[in-house]
Amino acid sequence: MSFLSLIIKNPFRNKSRALLAIIGIGIGIATIIALGAITEGMISSADDTLRAGGSDFTVSGKVEGESSQMVGFGTSSFDDDYVDKLANVSGVDRAVPIYMTLLMTKNSPYFAVIGMNPSDYKIAELTITDGRMYKDGTDEIVLGKIAADNEEKEVGDTILLDDKEFDIVGIYESGNSYQDQGGFTSLDNSQKLSDDEGKVSTIYIKVDKDADVETVEKRIDDEYGDNLTTISSLSDLDMVKNMIDMLNGASLAISILAVVIGAVGIINTMLTSVYERTRELGVLKAVGWSDGKILLMIIGESIVITIVAGIIGSIAGIIGVELIVLSNIMPLLTPIYTVNIFVQAFSIALFVGIIGGIYPALKAVKLPPTEALRYE
Amino acid sequence: MNSGDVMSRIVEIRDLKKSYEDGNIKALNGISLDIEEGEFVSIIGPSGSGKSTLLNMLGALDIADSGSIRVAGYDLKENKKLNVFRGDKIGFVFQLHNLIPNISVCENVEIPMYTQGLSSKDMRKRSLELLDEVGLKDKADIRPTKLSGGERQRVAIARALANNPSIILADEPTGSLDSKTSNRILELLINLHKEEKVTLIVVTHDMEVAKLADRIIEVLDGKIINAEDGTLLENKIRVEN
Ligand SMILES: Nc1ncnc2c1ncn2[C@@H]1O[C@H](COP(=O)(O)OP(=O)(O)O)[C@@H](O)[C@H]1O
Ligand SMILES: [Mg+2]
Repeated sequence: MSFLSLIIKNPFRNKSRALLAIIGIGIGIATIIALGAITEGMISSADDTLRAGGSDFTVSGKVEGESSQMVGFGTSSFDDDYVDKLANVSGVDRAVPIYMTLLMTKNSPYFAVIGMNPSDYKIAELTITDGRMYKDGTDEIVLGKIAADNEEKEVGDTILLDDKEFDIVGIYESGNSYQDQGGFTSLDNSQKLSDDEGKVSTIYIKVDKDADVETVEKRIDDEYGDNLTTISSLSDLDMVKNMIDMLNGASLAISILAVVIGAVGIINTMLTSVYERTRELGVLKAVGWSDGKILLMIIGESIVITIVAGIIGSIAGIIGVELIVLSNIMPLLTPIYTVNIFVQAFSIALFVGIIGGIYPALKAVKLPPTEALRYE
Repeated sequence: MNSGDVMSRIVEIRDLKKSYEDGNIKALNGISLDIEEGEFVSIIGPSGSGKSTLLNMLGALDIADSGSIRVAGYDLKENKKLNVFRGDKIGFVFQLHNLIPNISVCENVEIPMYTQGLSSKDMRKRSLELLDEVGLKDKADIRPTKLSGGERQRVAIARALANNPSIILADEPTGSLDSKTSNRILELLINLHKEEKVTLIVVTHDMEVAKLADRIIEVLDGKIINAEDGTLLENKIRVEN
């Protein structure tokens, strides 16, 4: 039998004790995985929404103080005459006005109504899977696939949004869960729903083929920076940034907690195991095992426990997140499991294993062999 | 026993002392002892007389306070790599078998081989050979917990032989067995000693066992009182009991 298989076998001599240690560490790992996947999902879906397909960056109203009217991702609406102004900025190919508002429907707590001129639909990269695009000056709407499922609607049905009836003329898929849980209609309709005529919430900017995105962005910042803010990436958005900072903070706090609780648990588990095996350790010394080998074995056993906890915790974390998704507690949540999350979780598991194993291993090494063999 | 002057000295102990509990217990109180290679020596004496302490010194499980001790070419007071000495030169058999319960009989016998850099395949091969020698080849793949006391002790003997030791140190190897099983274990040890020419040192408090040896060494209060005259020892013990 290889040394490695001995190390893998040993922790499971006392199955219930190993299981307890695994559960203790596994809970921490599961939480780290779940928070990580949720954070990554938020970053990416917010990014998708901001980027909206073919645009290079977006322009939003400056949020003046905390109490400003919040639209969509924490930006305030602003006058639509900026659309023409921005279109005239040198280097701008197109400036596409968007009016986004979140409503509540019978079946969904968040329903994004996105107002856009139908001619601009290419920039939103919508794929109409059923029916057709809406027309301007009508009460037509196209629904995202998820929204259509949630509301149990199909092409030809009507939908009531804020007491106003809309005709569903098409179903689309955008691959962006935020958009797929809402609908697109004309700019006019969307503004009216919020009693906010003549305003837009976002302008998607597409720059000229040969123009440099950053230069154009800077021109807009320089000229309209007092009232508008350009957003080329998620981190430009304070609200999203704060939320992600908060999630990352929680993730860090839980990681630290998991390390501390996990290490205490594993130290306790391994110490008990070392005491129980005192005579056996005496034998290992008597047959010539070096201190280094005994150290390696005990730390190895500790790592085996934490790695198993890492595997089980990861699976539990994924199951937990998927249950949240299924239960619809967080309707806009699309978790993303990046390799990085798992690397982080397993690094923590490994770290806890080493930290937790060192002290018991040193205890085992320091044990005088004669005392170990006399131990009752 | 002075059979053959060609024998070389495998154990050389001079005025060895060891005390415990801040000097209050003098476990070894000036022991001098020579043992020739290939000898079978028994160490006898009442409980607490220092037999195990002496055996532990021979196997470098413990370090003396003073005196000198050389075993199989190693100066055990100077040497730092005592674990290498134990792994290469010594095979221990304890009163309790001390087998690891969660691994197979065969794997238990492999335990000392981890210090020798063998492949798992070679370890298993060697282990099966040894189990064959002690008559337990057919039990190789079961757990030691399923074995009888005598069988477990035979596994422990196979384990002691794993690295071809120069000396087998057995501390009351039959102490927890009935007399019939005891005899078979002793027979096994003596046969191995004869066949493999391995030096055998057995600690016992049973005169019948001690008498099987080439030489009897009696220990009392941490001292050797008579290393030659078996009859005298026997009388002494009778008087004491
Ligand atoms: N590790 C130890 N710590 C304290 N006292 C010990 C230790 N080992 C042995 N002794 C004491 O030393 C004396 C000799 O013990 P030991 O060599 O085990 O005797 P024996 O094997 O002849 O019965 C006893 O009094 C025993 O209690
Ligand atoms: Mg003893």
